[in-house]
Amino acid sequence: MSKARVVIVTSSRNFSDINRPDPGIILTMLKKGLEALSGAARAEEALREWFRPGETVGLKVNTIGRRALSTSPETALTLGLWLGQTVGREENVIIWDRTDEELKEAGYRISTSPGSLKIFGTNNRRAGYQSEPTAHRHLGSLFSRIQAELIQASISLALLKDHGLAGVTAGLKNYFGAIHNPNKYHDSNCNPYIAELFETEPIRRKHRLTILDALRVQYHRGPAYHPQWLAASRKFIFSLDPVAADTVGWKIIEELRAKKGLPSLKEEGRAPGYLLTAEKLNLGQARLENIEIIEEEV
Amino acid sequence: MDRREFLKCSLSGYSLCLLPGISAAGNFFPGSPQMGARLSRVEARYYRQLPDREIRCDLCPRFCQLGDRERGFCGVRENQGGKYYTLVYGQAASLNVDPIEKKPFFHFLPGSETFSLATAGCNLNCRFCQNWEISQMRPEQVKSVSLPPEALVTSCERYDCPVIAYTYTEPVVFFEYMYDSSLLARKKGIRNVVVTAGYINPEPLADLLRVVDAVKVDLKAFNQNFYSEYVRGELQPVLQAIKQIARSGSWLEIVYLVIPTLNDNPTEIRDMCRYLKNEIGPDFPVHFSRFHPMYLIKNLPPTPLSTLEKLREVALEEGLHYIYVGNVPGHPGENTYCPKCGKLIIERYGYVIRKKELSGNKCRYCGQVIAGVWS
Ligand code: SF4
Ligand SMILES: [Zn+2]
Ligand SMILES: [Zn+2]
Repeated sequence: MSKARVVIVTSSRNFSDINRPDPGIILTMLKKGLEALSGAARAEEALREWFRPGETVGLKVNTIGRRALSTSPETALTLGLWLGQTVGREENVIIWDRTDEELKEAGYRISTSPGSLKIFGTNNRRAGYQSEPTAHRHLGSLFSRIQAELIQASISLALLKDHGLAGVTAGLKNYFGAIHNPNKYHDSNCNPYIAELFETEPIRRKHRLTILDALRVQYHRGPAYHPQWLAASRKFIFSLDPVAADTVGWKIIEELRAKKGLPSLKEEGRAPGYLLTAEKLNLGQARLENIEIIEEEV
Repeated sequence: MDRREFLKCSLSGYSLCLLPGISAAGNFFPGSPQMGARLSRVEARYYRQLPDREIRCDLCPRFCQLGDRERGFCGVRENQGGKYYTLVYGQAASLNVDPIEKKPFFHFLPGSETFSLATAGCNLNCRFCQNWEISQMRPEQVKSVSLPPEALVTSCERYDCPVIAYTYTEPVVFFEYMYDSSLLARKKGIRNVVVTAGYINPEPLADLLRVVDAVKVDLKAFNQNFYSEYVRGELQPVLQAIKQIARSGSWLEIVYLVIPTLNDNPTEIRDMCRYLKNEIGPDFPVHFSRFHPMYLIKNLPPTPLSTLEKLREVALEEGLHYIYVGNVPGHPGENTYCPKCGKLIIERYGYVIRKKELSGNKCRYCGQVIAGVWS
């Protein structure tokens, strides 16, 4: 079995304002990450291999934490514009989450005009939820029409955070924002729900890439914003394996916790067991020994 | 809209009927995008504050523990900065005038019309939910009208209903709204009835029982496995709630929705009937209702009549006095028979009372007291 590859890119440059990162630095980090991930000489080649010109690509961001703690708009916009221009047209990229309001509060500007990059929530007039529930294993949910109908390829552009129930929220759990009833799936550490949701057709078939925004990491008492436990990590994590990406995210959170003398997630009874469930469902690698980690600095 | 139009409109199930003078808040339903739904911001009851702006909700046996900005399992309560709020106070997502037999209550003011309402949300997640389009939604995902307790009671009076029914979804999740409305309604001589799955903690239930007159509990099965697999809850708290209601002086009826192959085992139902007779006595009605394929369980047929009849027999054999067959209009199991002389004393067809042979609360033929609230 070949190992899953996960790339961690850390910026050595100091962001003048980590809350509003410089798009130039972000683009450099994104390029470096995708080159290391694909082995291609230029990141654009990799993008053209993974995404086709006619496809509409969804960038699922996480904006529950408002401006204080969301996938940074600078990151999403930089990636969206670059991806659009490289592969096809920028109007074929949709940056999205549950609601317009959450996106706005996180600093995004809603955009639905033809010819330009799209940014809107499922509750926007042009989207909504499907009217028939999708039943899959333990789940029964209405899917966002964005995930189920409007896009053909998907990037989980998630935020890496500690999570009081799931243990870790990252690329897989980000898709909770694609269904109408995520509040029903937080018991028993969100396990097996996070894994089973990823296994559903609208997600598994479309998901191509995980990018974790770990510029700042809430490593304790997440997913809510608590500045005293927020680390300026200046990292992005990349993988084609959605389970491996989150497994490495977990490792980073544990390292931050250990540095601060906090108990591990296992000790707190909230290790993200959904990762092993996901591995059992053949969604990816959940063991570090099966993951090749490449670290880069730019 | 006059009363007839209103009632006609009610027949479209939980679709919303707007009462005169009440304005619609949102216009979202599944498949159609949301526009400006209104969320209430009334502080929730039965919760405690924890360090770091976290809270624990003590209203139902889930005891959701939530960080800032998070919502409970029911989806209608939210932690905002360490304070917990109900988002559905005074936000009716379904509003109809229904016969009380539809709830069903068979021994509580038969033939009465109930002013019936629900908000969005539920603290369970039944795979066979018959009202999932509002119960399994967040408040911003459904249409609703603003109908605060005062307006609710006034509307109920205007439509001349002697009873308000908190029903359709799960009233436990709109506890504050239900409680305040009940208190107000009671002062005006209106009775309050609750249709619930009984998934509520003892303290809030005790408070509720002081202001409501009758509770119908959906007992979904008599084994924990079914509750885990198909309901996402626990059986024990429901049994506790049933006992608490029975002992409170409020009227109680129990509905058991019979789903072919999943919870229709006669041996188990016999155990359940024994348990009920021991714990609450033989006089609270039990309705065995017919299942229709719905929501996430569409691969099973409607319950065969023979199953319902068999289970009714089992319950009667175990000595329970008032056992009904539900959702089968015209079935003799809809009627009430005197447990002493065996004569038919209330004849029903669907929700219509055809004959009532009671004098006061007694069988007209033999004088046996028939348990219930008759006036
Ligand atoms: S009422 Fe809602 S928030 Fe409270 S414990 Fe129950 S499901 Fe959780
Ligand atoms: Zn969540
Ligand atoms: Zn008699």
